[in-house]
Amino acid sequence: MLVIGRGKQLISNRYKPVAFALFIIVFGSCLYSCPYALAQADQNRSKLETANLAIEGAFNSVLDAEKAGANVTNLLSQLNYAVNLMAQAENAFRVGDNNTAVNDADAVIPITQKVTSSAQTLKQSATVNSQNAFWYTIVFTFTASLVFMLVVFLVWRWFKRRYIYGLLPAKPEVKNNGTEVI
Amino acid sequence: MGLKLSDYKLIFATVALIGVLLIASPVLAEHLHFPNGEQYSELYLLGPDQTPQSIPLNIATGQNYTVNVGIGDHLGTSAYYVLYVKLRNETNQLPNQTTGTPSSLPQLYEYSSLVQNGENWTAPLTFSVSHISISDNRLVLGSITINNVECNVCKIAEFDQQNDGYYYQLFIELWAYNPISQTFEYQNRFVYFWLNATAATSTT
Repeated sequence: MLVIGRGKQLISNRYKPVAFALFIIVFGSCLYSCPYALAQADQNRSKLETANLAIEGAFNSVLDAEKAGANVTNLLSQLNYAVNLMAQAENAFRVGDNNTAVNDADAVIPITQKVTSSAQTLKQSATVNSQNAFWYTIVFTFTASLVFMLVVFLVWRWFKRRYIYGLLPAKPEVKNNGTEVI
Repeated sequence: MGLKLSDYKLIFATVALIGVLLIASPVLAEHLHFPNGEQYSELYLLGPDQTPQSIPLNIATGQNYTVNVGIGDHLGTSAYYVLYVKLRNETNQLPNQTTGTPSSLPQLYEYSSLVQNGENWTAPLTFSVSHISISDNRLVLGSITINNVECNVCKIAEFDQQNDGYYYQLFIELWAYNPISQTFEYQNRFVYFWLNATAATSTT
């Protein structure tokens, strides 16, 4: 029992060791729990950062696939779900709802892994398809140009022959007496 | 006067050249890169009935209000956007459009979305205000709830003599992920709307 006196003695001498021990326990638990709370917050922030990086990596893969000519609508739709979860996690973390934040961030990772893998496969097939399409176009262009040039050349020869034959009757003919008849 | 044979030869050669160029145009198109049109992102804000006129102005405590925020992607590729919702009073700074720097105020809520080129994305922003107190011509807005996420703000608004009320502004900044720098960059685009909290004081 703490005795509050009128004089200088505020706490009875008998209880001083107990009070000191209590102070040590309370102070010690504060010292112990503060770093723990900070470490917990850091850990949660770190989970969110990991999830953010995973989304960015997946988005980069989807962009690469899109640039290679793949149709990424379905992949973007899947990744959008993860992106929405991530926004929810950030909003929850901001207001101190760490459980929701961590759960949402954890749920993001498998989606991004699946999307990244699918995007890489799509990119490969799109690259092969676009290379094939390029070579088909080259071969078609070369063949078609050759055929077209040949056709134009044949038409030109036919036209030239007709043109020359057309001129023959109009060629001036000189008779022995020097008169010119057409 | 008729054409000479050499003139016809020239016409045939020209037809042949034009024909070959037309046939080769798919291949040429792959290698000739013409400048693209303007690349940009759009950010817009509409009221509950999808018109700007229906954006709320006068707000009361505990009542829900909804606006719709939207993004349009015209960057030529898909884009990863983030929207930050922030609250300011009349003395807080808005984002600087000249320098392209965002507001330093903390974000209260964020949206994220992936948008394909030429596509639009919209989302509702439902908000309500609470814990409002007033004294000495100063109004303190205790908290604002955006899409069921309650944020403690403790934002003070001085009485605006000119407009006869206590005014706040909710504004939304557009950020986008840059795949080259691998960071989110502010797009120098923001939308805002005023909130007159004067009516809210009578309901507290």
